[in-house]
Amino acid sequence: MENRKSLKGKIALITGGSHGIGRSITLKLAAEGSDVIINYFRKRDTAESTAQEAREKGVAAHIIKANVGDPEKIDSMFNEIEAKFGRLDMLINNAASGVARSALELDSRSWDWTMDINAKAFLLCAQKASKLMPNGGKMVSISSLGSQMVIPNYTAVGVSKAALEALTRYLAIELAPRGISVNGIASAAVETEALKIYTASLGLPQPSWQTTPVGRMVQPEDIANVVAFLCSDEAAMIRGQIIIVDGGRSLTPVGYTPTKSDQGGNLAEP
Amino acid sequence: MLVEESVEETIRQIVLKVVRKPDVDFTATTKFKDLEADSLDMVQILVAVEDAFDIEIADEEIKEIANMGDFIAFIKRKIADKG
Repeated sequence: MENRKSLKGKIALITGGSHGIGRSITLKLAAEGSDVIINYFRKRDTAESTAQEAREKGVAAHIIKANVGDPEKIDSMFNEIEAKFGRLDMLINNAASGVARSALELDSRSWDWTMDINAKAFLLCAQKASKLMPNGGKMVSISSLGSQMVIPNYTAVGVSKAALEALTRYLAIELAPRGISVNGIASAAVETEALKIYTASLGLPQPSWQTTPVGRMVQPEDIANVVAFLCSDEAAMIRGQIIIVDGGRSLTPVGYTPTKSDQGGNLAEP
Repeated sequence: MLVEESVEETIRQIVLKVVRKPDVDFTATTKFKDLEADSLDMVQILVAVEDAFDIEIADEEIKEIANMGDFIAFIKRKIADKG
């Protein structure tokens, strides 16, 4: 795609924007010309490093420490954004956390922790962000196919992602008259360090099991590219949709990877 | 001395509140595993301590922490380093 720096002069907040998928989104939006505000939770060094990478693309980058599961921290973060930037053009709700337990083992505090960060944070951030978007804006939520599937010990995260997707639709309709578009992205397992740690903690096979019909795992950059598209004017009439980015994984039976022999050569014989 | 005691008391209150054991015996030799702290507890303890003292703690920095005495001493050093 031609690099037109389509987001030049815009300001984006990426929650959890310092590492993994969030880092790729931050750097993609920076490459498209947007100034970036990187929200991080605990790893300042990583946030500083990602901010520096963004600056090398010729944009401004600012880091803000905040646990988005805490409403007071969200208030502080947006107060800082308003004081420093005065407005916001894009909100990328990417920060996620979760306690890996089965439904019957899940306790109240683990449920609340996961739901607060993965779902409620988008509600509160969207409410705050919309006030900083008087001339319209874009919001994108990062979900996962786990919102619709049953994955061992993924209960709290899966439910939180389902709530996040429903919230994305509600926000899209409420905010459409104000020129704010809201969409989401649901991906298959993305090849990140977090995925390796998660699968290892559950005793599941390492990520290579998650092959797709395309023949590779989803990469953070695959998600970032779709975020940039949803933030572009070309996506103006896409509202409240959850875009699946999985290389066709969700359309195929488990373990099925097409080969050239699946391409119907016999049927094509004259 | 008063400040140091205040730090220790604040940490004690945070830890016991997070692990939901307000009446447990808490000494310098108490270990997190003695308090049955799980991974979520540990994150919540670190976040609360960071907030309370306006410091930042990297996960790598606490890997060698053996007990509460070590933890409190580590936090006091972080506060002192902050100036």
